[in-house]
Amino acid sequence: MTGIDIAQWILGFLLVASSFGVIIANKPVYASLSFLSSLLILAALFLLLSAQFVAIMQILVYAGAILVLFMFVIILFQDAYLQIGKFKARSNRWLLTIAGISWVLLLAGVGAVITQYPVSANPLPEGFGTVQSLGQALYIDFFFPFEAVIVIFLIAIVGALYIGRKVHS
Amino acid sequence: MNYPLMLYISLAMFTMGVIGILTRRNPLIFFLAIELMLNAANLLFVSFARQWENQIGLVWVFFVVVVAAAEAAVGLAIIINLFRSKQIVDIDQYNDLQG
Repeated sequence: MTGIDIAQWILGFLLVASSFGVIIANKPVYASLSFLSSLLILAALFLLLSAQFVAIMQILVYAGAILVLFMFVIILFQDAYLQIGKFKARSNRWLLTIAGISWVLLLAGVGAVITQYPVSANPLPEGFGTVQSLGQALYIDFFFPFEAVIVIFLIAIVGALYIGRKVHS
Repeated sequence: MNYPLMLYISLAMFTMGVIGILTRRNPLIFFLAIELMLNAANLLFVSFARQWENQIGLVWVFFVVVVAAAEAAVGLAIIINLFRSKQIVDIDQYNDLQG
C-alpha cells in the first residue's frame, strides 16, 4: 500500500463524512459549510487522480460561484426564518431509519462485490489532465457542445432573472 | 491509485444525496443534496478517465459543472420565488401542481 492509497482512503472517509454532514445538518448554513468541505476534499481527490485542471475548476466554480450564490440565498432566507419561526422542516423518523438501514445494506452488498475488482495502476500518457491537453480536447473535439453549453447558460441566466423578478399585483 | 475504492466512495456519496432528497424537507438542503449527487457523478467521471487514460471523462466533468451552475441559478430563483409567494419553508406544503 503506497502513500497515495492511504491518502485516498483517508480522503474518501472524510468525503463520505462531510457528505453525511450535508444531509443531517439542522440549518442550511451548516449544510453549506459541510458541502464546502466536501468540495475541497473532492478537489484533493481529483489532484490524486491527476486531473489538475478539473480540481482547480471545481474549487473556482463550485466553491467560488455556486456556493456563494447559495450563501446569498441563505442570507435572504434568514429574515424569513426569523419571521415565521419554522426553522426545522420536519422529517419522518421512520423514513430516516429505513433510509439508513437500506443505505448500509446497499453499501455492504456492493462492497462485497467491488473488493474483487483488480486494483491496477496504469501509467499515465504524457500531459494527462493539464490545461493544455484539456483545452485542445474542449476547443477542437468538443467545439459544438462547448458552444451549446454557452447558449444553455445564457438561457438559464435570463430565465433566472425572469423568475426572480418582482411581480406587482 | 485505488480505482474500486473511488467507485465505492462515489456510490456512497450519490446514495447519500438520494437519501437527503427523500428525507429532508428544507428546500435549501434539498438543493445541496442534488449538488452532492452531481459531485458524485463527477468523481465517477474522473476516476474512469484516470483508469482508462482517456481525457473525454475530464471534458464531461466540465460540462457537468457548467450545467450545475445553470441549475443553481434557476433553482435558487425558483426557491426564492416560491417562498415569496407562499411564505412557507417546508417543501411538502408546495403541492399546488398535484391537481
